[in-house]
Amino acid sequence: MEKILLRNVDAPESHTLAAYRSRGGYRALEKVAREMSPARVIEEVKASGLRGRGGAGFPTGMKWGFVPKDSPKPKYVVCNADESEPGTFKDRLLIEKDPHAIIEGTIIAAYSIGSHTAFIYIRGELAYASQVLQKAIDESYQAGYLGKSILGTGYDLDVVLHRGAGAYICGEETGLLSSLEGGKGWPKVKPPFPATHGLFGCPTVVNNVETLAALPWIIDQGAAQYAALGTEKSKGTKLFSVSGHIRKPGVYEVEMGYPFKRFLEEDCGGVPNGRHLKGVIPGGASMPVLRADEIGEVRMDYESFQAAGTMLGSGGVIVMDETTCMVKAAWNIARFFAHESCGQCSPCREGCHWMEKIFWRVENGQGESADLDLILNISGNIMGNTICPFGDAAAMPAAAFIKKYRAEFEAHIAEKRCVISASG
Amino acid sequence: MDLVKLTIDGREVTTTKGRTVIQAAEEAGIAIPHYCYHPKLAIAGNCRMCLVEIEKMPKLQIACNTQVTEGMEVRTQSPKVLQAREAVMEFFLINHPLDCPICDQAGECWLQDYYMQHDLRKSRFIEGKHHDRKREIFGPHVVFDGERCIKCTRCVRFLQEVTRTEELTVVNRGDHSTITLFPGKVLDNPLSANINDICPVGALTDRDFRFRVRVWYLQKTPSICPGCSTGCNISIESYQNRIARFKPRINEEVNSHWICDEGRYCFHALTEVERLASPLIRQEGGLVPTDWQTALGTVVSRLSAAPPAAGVLSGRSTNEEAFLFAKLLKQLSPQARMEVFYRERELTEVERILKSPDRSPNFRGIRDMGVSSDGGFEPLLRELAQGKFSSAYIVAEDLLAQFAAGQELRDALAKLAFLVVQDTHLSETARLAHVVLPATNFAEKEGTYTNRKGRVQRLSPALVPPAGVLQDLEIFGRLLSLAGAPSAPPNSREVFSQIAREVSRYQGLSYERIGTQGVQLET
Repeated sequence: MEKILLRNVDAPESHTLAAYRSRGGYRALEKVAREMSPARVIEEVKASGLRGRGGAGFPTGMKWGFVPKDSPKPKYVVCNADESEPGTFKDRLLIEKDPHAIIEGTIIAAYSIGSHTAFIYIRGELAYASQVLQKAIDESYQAGYLGKSILGTGYDLDVVLHRGAGAYICGEETGLLSSLEGGKGWPKVKPPFPATHGLFGCPTVVNNVETLAALPWIIDQGAAQYAALGTEKSKGTKLFSVSGHIRKPGVYEVEMGYPFKRFLEEDCGGVPNGRHLKGVIPGGASMPVLRADEIGEVRMDYESFQAAGTMLGSGGVIVMDETTCMVKAAWNIARFFAHESCGQCSPCREGCHWMEKIFWRVENGQGESADLDLILNISGNIMGNTICPFGDAAAMPAAAFIKKYRAEFEAHIAEKRCVISASG
Repeated sequence: MDLVKLTIDGREVTTTKGRTVIQAAEEAGIAIPHYCYHPKLAIAGNCRMCLVEIEKMPKLQIACNTQVTEGMEVRTQSPKVLQAREAVMEFFLINHPLDCPICDQAGECWLQDYYMQHDLRKSRFIEGKHHDRKREIFGPHVVFDGERCIKCTRCVRFLQEVTRTEELTVVNRGDHSTITLFPGKVLDNPLSANINDICPVGALTDRDFRFRVRVWYLQKTPSICPGCSTGCNISIESYQNRIARFKPRINEEVNSHWICDEGRYCFHALTEVERLASPLIRQEGGLVPTDWQTALGTVVSRLSAAPPAAGVLSGRSTNEEAFLFAKLLKQLSPQARMEVFYRERELTEVERILKSPDRSPNFRGIRDMGVSSDGGFEPLLRELAQGKFSSAYIVAEDLLAQFAAGQELRDALAKLAFLVVQDTHLSETARLAHVVLPATNFAEKEGTYTNRKGRVQRLSPALVPPAGVLQDLEIFGRLLSLAGAPSAPPNSREVFSQIAREVSRYQGLSYERIGTQGVQLET
């Protein structure tokens, strides 16, 4: 398979403008500047079938189309580089190894919606990546890809890199916007949506790093080329970050629809040390876990993962072998979400901590028989009732671990200890 | 105005476009429970108590942030909605200390009320509760209990949107979220105590009121704040014939949902005084008690014998009192000059949101009743101090205490041939009087005030006056008949009817028309 997103990452000095240009970089931008109207760019992206790679999978071209054309307010493009989903590290690779692809994609997106200021909101912990990205932005300015009258078109664009301060919730697009505005990273109540009332109340498009990085290739090679890849509804390729009990962890670019089992066993080398697969989270910690016996027919696209009762999410594949205590894994994830809940709305603020406390008791031999149904009930009471998707992100994995490994949870409660790992 | 038709719980409801579901439901008399929603504050959407089911929407929606659309079908009582409400109540209560027996909010707490209406379950929470700051002083009027707080952010939004003073914010995350003062700030803006009113739970309580009385014992009387001429609508809340607190009463034409701190606490100074129990008359050696007949007879004979007279009414006198007072003074002393006490002070920007620059809530109405002279109060006072009057009738204003440069005035008052002072207590000014008439305060009387903008509003008696005193209105009425004038109507309602006949701008008004929200005079 021809690589689209990872086409440059293994090239020497791939993060520099010179290397990027020598490999066809900024060709798409020149094409846009020379011969494409903003409407034409949006049509092309719609035709490509590209969907948001941050987790929600919303069609990118359609998102851009929601931005009002006649608004007197400034419009903004925000690149969401606040990659924080546990088990996900694909954007970091792109930023460190191919920053110009992100910048070029950002310029194309900004041009298509008529934005003259774009922000890249990068996770604060990615200190090295933000240095690389800032250097790349500086190079782009010097080369005339950013700033006044880009490539002589009369179109101006400034790109501002902003480092976050370490909150998972700022990866949620409206939490990100609140943070970027200088406020507490609290998600905004919707409606209104960012397309009409986003950053500073102005029309705003928020796109994930991976989404933007796919744009240069799509424009350069044509939407049809991209749409030819993948499945009927999941077009193109997707990055997967693979970690855990797997022989070859790392970032993989996979054509949508690729068999999941084959991916894990052949591409990633399977579970090491002669052990057996116990479960795998396919889309980052917020997505429901799949048991080993559930992955046989699953394909790596939005629809197939959904049909299997989970989601593609951010593509953070976390592999767990038979030595993993699923109670402890569930507690670990619950603890993460309890720590990261922003505290704005009541179900998430109170429910996440409550679930975490119960998981802790069960893992530490203090569980009670009613606890499992209680967690399922709390999780159900959070689901769908919160301001932002964080509530679902905390509720879904909690319920999935119990439903799929109930016997193991019950054994913890019955024996009043962790039945998997000696260390507890 | 575009109309939108929708159904709520099967009932057809018509409302205007742009309204939210919670507003449309309220108009139709359907209460959707809520904490964070407040009609005067921006939508926060954080409490999740107002979740409702809307046809064709897969998830429950918050009624406070959902605009009505034509044909929308809303269900506020479906099993899914009831379950979500129960769940939200449970989330609010798991870390709550459940200390109702010692919480001052008990009895007017939305957690208590909604628990009874929408939850009524035993707790399923057996973990250790999260702890937070207790009894933290936010400012002179506000004390905070972090453990009772539900983080609805009404207080934060009030301080951002109404006073724009921004003393409070939310810090920390998850169930460690808490409300706190910005470093170096004190919550002492002139409207600060309103956040005690809008806090739906026991997190913010009023330092002046708390622990004085359980709220279910309070008797509530609609009235008007006597603090200044804005005329904020209030509820006088009393217990055992004492005022326990003022609460704002909603009137969008005057004060919306708010009152200022100065007005809120002004009842202490106005009512907590050592009350006179009988009229006093000057004899050699000082003021001694006398009976009403002697006192009133002395006033009539000595005032008419010592022209010209000056009359000073308090700004807290009612229109009805002023109407009789004007008639009385003209009857007794045809050259009398009379005025209502009026002085202005500088106000800050935040004070100007509600406060007027005076402390005379009814100066405008009193002048309408004929208690006015050319030039206003200050020239009259100056002439009084310069000894240009032989007698004076001063009602419920301690002129000597009001002015630093009192010596000249004191000497002038002492030299008057006759001084009558009518007040609730023996003020500095009253000590100089020949006759002191014990009267009533704003909370003991019926009547009307006309605010600075010309809105006529009703006072209602919340307290019973002490034995031995007379209503100001009755004093003026009895003096009028002693002076040989046609007898005055026996109560304020009928005096007001007479006002409505005789004072052209008040024509056609009645207590019924004024009601609880007042009537704006035509300018």
